[in-house]
Amino acid sequence: MSGHHVSSAKFLWGVAIALLFLTYVTVAVTWIHIPEPWNVVVAIAIAVVKSAIVAAFFMHLWWDTKFNLLLLITSIVFFLILIGITLLDTLYRIDPVPSF
Amino acid sequence: MEQPSTLEKKQDHLQHHFVDSDQQFESAKMGMWIFLVTEILFFGGLFAAYIVFRSWYPELFLLASDHLDTFWGAVNTVVLISSSLTVAMAIRSAQLNQQKGIIINLAITIALAFVFMVIKYFEYTEKFAVGIFPGGYYTYEGIAHDQANIFFSIYYMMTGLHGIHVVVGIGLMVWLLLRARKGHFSSEYYTPVEITGLYWHLVDIIWIFLFPLLYLID
Amino acid sequence: MATSESTNIKKIQVRRFKPDENPTSNYLTEERGLWAWMTTVDHKKIGWMYLGSIAIFFAVGGILALLLRTELLTPAQTFFTADAYNQLFTLHGAIMVFFFLVPSVPAALGNFILPLQLGCKDVAFPRVNLLSFYIYVVGALFTLFAIFTGGVDTGWTFYTPYSSSAAGGNVMAMTFGVFILGFSSILTGLNFIVTIHRMRAPGLTWNKLPLFLWALYATSIIQILATPVLAITLLLLTMERLLSIGIFDPALGGDPVLYQHFFWFYSHPAVYIMIVPGFGIISEIISTFSRKHIFGYWAIALSSLAIAFIGFLVWGHHMFVAGQSSLANLVFSFLTFLVGIPTGIKIFNWIATMYKGSIDLKTPMLYVMVFLFLFTIGGFTGIMLGALAVDIHLHDTYYVVAHFHYVMVGGMVMAFLGGLHYWWPKMTGKMYNEMWGRISCAIVFIGFNLTFLPQFVMGSLGMPRRYFNYLEQFQGYHVMSTYGSYILGLGFLMVLIYLTHSIFKGKKAPANPWQSRAMEWQAPSPPPLHNFEHTPVIIHGPYDYHKPMSEFQLGIAGSHNGHGHHEHETETKTVEADK
Repeated sequence: MSGHHVSSAKFLWGVAIALLFLTYVTVAVTWIHIPEPWNVVVAIAIAVVKSAIVAAFFMHLWWDTKFNLLLLITSIVFFLILIGITLLDTLYRIDPVPSF
Repeated sequence: MEQPSTLEKKQDHLQHHFVDSDQQFESAKMGMWIFLVTEILFFGGLFAAYIVFRSWYPELFLLASDHLDTFWGAVNTVVLISSSLTVAMAIRSAQLNQQKGIIINLAITIALAFVFMVIKYFEYTEKFAVGIFPGGYYTYEGIAHDQANIFFSIYYMMTGLHGIHVVVGIGLMVWLLLRARKGHFSSEYYTPVEITGLYWHLVDIIWIFLFPLLYLID
Repeated sequence: MATSESTNIKKIQVRRFKPDENPTSNYLTEERGLWAWMTTVDHKKIGWMYLGSIAIFFAVGGILALLLRTELLTPAQTFFTADAYNQLFTLHGAIMVFFFLVPSVPAALGNFILPLQLGCKDVAFPRVNLLSFYIYVVGALFTLFAIFTGGVDTGWTFYTPYSSSAAGGNVMAMTFGVFILGFSSILTGLNFIVTIHRMRAPGLTWNKLPLFLWALYATSIIQILATPVLAITLLLLTMERLLSIGIFDPALGGDPVLYQHFFWFYSHPAVYIMIVPGFGIISEIISTFSRKHIFGYWAIALSSLAIAFIGFLVWGHHMFVAGQSSLANLVFSFLTFLVGIPTGIKIFNWIATMYKGSIDLKTPMLYVMVFLFLFTIGGFTGIMLGALAVDIHLHDTYYVVAHFHYVMVGGMVMAFLGGLHYWWPKMTGKMYNEMWGRISCAIVFIGFNLTFLPQFVMGSLGMPRRYFNYLEQFQGYHVMSTYGSYILGLGFLMVLIYLTHSIFKGKKAPANPWQSRAMEWQAPSPPPLHNFEHTPVIIHGPYDYHKPMSEFQLGIAGSHNGHGHHEHETETKTVEADK
């Protein structure tokens, strides 16, 4: 049964160490002052990788039915719809339609 | 274990409307995942507010973030990741029928969650001491920006809601611990441990995003 | 049962199980008493408790509407003060939307029918189902508390900054009530999705799923994706009042339009939470009473999902004059037109289903006719309002009021009444009076049009919505509308009376009075406590009217999980069903 995957203790420890290492990286990159838009991109990218690791291995998505993964992806897509379309308004309040 | 007693145990936890344990387990897990979807969109609203205000006032976020202590934020990240590990270990123990392992791992998880909340408590009181209150009660004058109160409103809403989730998580873990001591969980039936684990990992994931977004703006 | 996603074909022995025409014990005769009802985890009883609650709220909201209409008989003050009027329309809107429309079909009819159509004993999480009912009750109590401690006069949308700072009354209790209510809606949706995925009877593959369940599935998806955003919005609004957090309040540097974005991110999809289950009912009834296979099964099923998805992209058309950027206006107006496509697909397929069918105009089918007529008007006027330039003129006029009442009352409530009549024999085991059913349907139709058609006209002439006073030139329309509302109210009252009467004095209903092929009709009326005495096996789709009835009553006699069964003398045959 796909839902009953048993991870080895060694593997779980490995995942945790990877997460702690990425935590160190995300703090460390703030010391080297990456220029404006890219610092956010790097911080988010690391956070996304960390979450993906947690979801895939701690939450067993790697071995789980695909539908549960689909649920997670759906929630992210709809969050992006919420923020994406809202930004169409809030970023363009002052100027009229840019191409006009 | 003898054959009849396994069978009895199997019937014990199986609810009347399910055909077998697998159907019940998979249903519970899918139900939890759907609940996590709602949690993601629940926090999603706050993240959206964060993004909108950060896009409007980037300089405010730069200034105000300096007043959050990166060190303690990082410590809390480590604490939560460790607790995620122990929850995963608790599930592994249940899958392998290691009763003691379940109890120990759950106990460590609860302890780590308390550490998280204690650190949060000190962070909050430190801010209250200088007048950084949420919203209309904001009186701090150390940040030269008109909308400084909004950054901290968002900060308090996000970390506060996350904190409530941690507290709920502690409650669930205590409930699991009590049940584990009575020997309710085994490789045949560990659904509550599994789905509480899923919830706890999501709380961890949300913090993984909160930490760089609030503390690490340089 | 499909516990894994694999599709291996397996041969199983099945027998015919004719539904018991005179069940000695059913869900109503077992586990009786008030306490047993209040603590029941049976989906049918929970469905009834929801039905009772929404009926009460529909009555309250309806009486508020009649009071509003009565006040509007004259251009100046008739009975109420302006403040009382504001509270009346706010409560009418909030109660009808949050306490009636959102839970009406999914939580009441859906709860009852969904496990029956799936051929399972209950929903996946029966206790969560009961919990969601009590959450609904707690939310309702908060609302009552709000009404008796000052009321609310913000309109059902609770727009900031008025709701966050200026509004009197008890906005906090009201929004908190709605916040709690959201969890009830989420849990119902969660339960339905898992049930449809995991609890289907052997042989019930996705391409045999009744369209009502496809509609409930789409609805549940919207519920779990949109409702949390409403929850966080209302929580922020509560905090805005409690702590002045300033995210929405312009006085503190916040942005009130952001509130509208968040609010409509829920509330526009919520419109589809209200109407999509209605679409599902229409599909069921139209096929049954045309005695014909539904036309375009997949088109109807997938258009429900398409509506659910597109519904998330169009919320900004409520904000064309709210001060959002013109780029957003443009994009939202364009996207809004897309909603018309899947909706049109549905209407065409329904019409095509009726084409050359042997149509039987019983009461449920009459309501379908009313639905098709009124919903089409509501839909087309919606497209007009979606056009940016037209909306600037019509925004916040009675034209909008008429539009959404045509969609919500003319669409949703008609579908709900159709479904209620359709499933009434199954739910109660009694037949209602057919003649009174038809007469009431006609009265509702006349009353409805008399109420809301004049509102289109006066709206396009410039009568603004939510106004207590108006210019004398509009009085004729208002008077017509008010008298229409009395007729409409009379129609609803008649439905209540003859349905209640049928419970006590009605004729006994056969198991399958409409000769439907769908699963729920293969159980006795009313069904036994665990729905089926056997495990049903499905080999045909629910609309295969060209196949004999005997092939829809197959099952396995096996009593899994310790439940007994009756012996039937029937032949045994082997069917292929994918496990």
